[in-house]
Amino acid sequence: MIRGGVLLGAGALLLVSSLAGAQQGDLSAPAARLKQYITYAAEEQTVAAGKKTVLELRFHVNEGFHVNSHTPKSELLIPTKLTLQPEGGVKAEAAQYPAGTSYSFSFQPGEKLDVYTGAFTVKIPVVADAGSHTMTGVLRYQACDNAACYPPKSLPVEVAVTAK
Amino acid sequence: MRRVLILGVMVVGVALLLWAGWHNLRERKLAMQKARENQVVLIPDKQGQGKAESEDSEEFAPKMRGQKAPAFALTNLEGKKVSLADYKGRPVLVNFWATWCGPCKVEMPWFEEFRKQYAAQGFEILGLTDDADAGKDVIAKVAQKSGVTYPILLTDGKVQTAYGGLDVLPMSFYVDRNGVVVEQTAGLGSKDQIEAIIKKTIASGGAAPAGEL
Repeated sequence: MIRGGVLLGAGALLLVSSLAGAQQGDLSAPAARLKQYITYAAEEQTVAAGKKTVLELRFHVNEGFHVNSHTPKSELLIPTKLTLQPEGGVKAEAAQYPAGTSYSFSFQPGEKLDVYTGAFTVKIPVVADAGSHTMTGVLRYQACDNAACYPPKSLPVEVAVTAK
Repeated sequence: MRRVLILGVMVVGVALLLWAGWHNLRERKLAMQKARENQVVLIPDKQGQGKAESEDSEEFAPKMRGQKAPAFALTNLEGKKVSLADYKGRPVLVNFWATWCGPCKVEMPWFEEFRKQYAAQGFEILGLTDDADAGKDVIAKVAQKSGVTYPILLTDGKVQTAYGGLDVLPMSFYVDRNGVVVEQTAGLGSKDQIEAIIKKTIASGGAAPAGEL
C-alpha cells in the first residue's frame, strides 16, 4: 500500500514534468527567417548501368517552417515541385513525392493544409548509361511559419549519378 | 500509525495530481497568451540596444519607419490607375498580401472592419497583391471571399522593391496624413494590435484640415 502511494506520488511528478515539457512547443516564437527554408543533402548516387533505379533526393524543411506538399488542398497554394533538366545519358521518369501531413494554422483551425515539415524524400526513377552524369534542376516551394508566409523560392538541386 | 502514513502518502499523491492539473491549465493559458503576443512581428529598431544584430535582423530592419512612403501608381482590379498620392492628407494602410498567404487572409476582414470604423477620420486601406502567378479573377475572388471592399491593386515588381523587398507576407506600412510611414509590421498581428497602430497612424501628423477629407 505504501508502495502504491509512493508510485502515485511519483506518477504525479512525472505527469507534471511531462506536461511542462510538452508545453514548450506551444511557446515557439516566430522562427528565424532565412533566405532558403529547405536544405538539400546532395549525395552521389551509384546505379547499375542500363537498369531502372530509383534515386532518392533528401530534403529538409528548416525547423519552425512548413512548405506545401506536392498536392496541397487548395488550388491557391503553391505546390512543392522538382524540375530536373534533361541530361544526356540519363532517362528520368516523373518525380514521386511523399504524402504530406495534415496541418492547420492556430488562427485557422478549420482550414486543413497538406504540408511537408522536417525531412522528406523525392524519388526519381532513372535509367542511366554507363559513366558519370550530373543532373541539375530546381525545387520550387513556398514556405510559411506560424504567423507569416514567404514568397515562393527555387532551391538549386544537383544530382551526381555514376552508372557502372 | 501505518494506516495514517498510508493515508498521508495517498493525500500527497492526490494533491500532486490536483496541482498538476491546475499547473497545466495555468501554463496553457500563459502559452496561449504568449502565442497571441508572438503573432505580430513588429520589426525591431535598426539601432539595437546593445544587442548584436544578426544577418536576419538586418534583413528585416524597419527600413521604412519614419520615412516618406514611396509613391506608386498601380492598376486596380477594374483596370483603373490608383496612386498613393490620391490619398494625400489621409492616413493610409498599405498592406501587401498574396492569394497563397493564409495569415494575410485572416487579417483582411479585420482591415475591412477598421476601415469602416475609422472612415470618419479619413482612414483608407490599399491592398497590394504580391502575386506573380495568380490571375486578376482569382485575386478578385479571394478578396471578395475575405469580405474586402477596399481597393485591391496589382503590383508591378517595382513597388515591392521600393518598399524594401518584401521577403515576408503579410507586410503592412501605416502611412500618416503627411505621407510618413509611422509603423511597419511583418506577419500576422492580433486584431487589437492592428487597431492600436491604426489609431496611432490616425493621430500622427496632426488632425486633417477641415474639408480635406
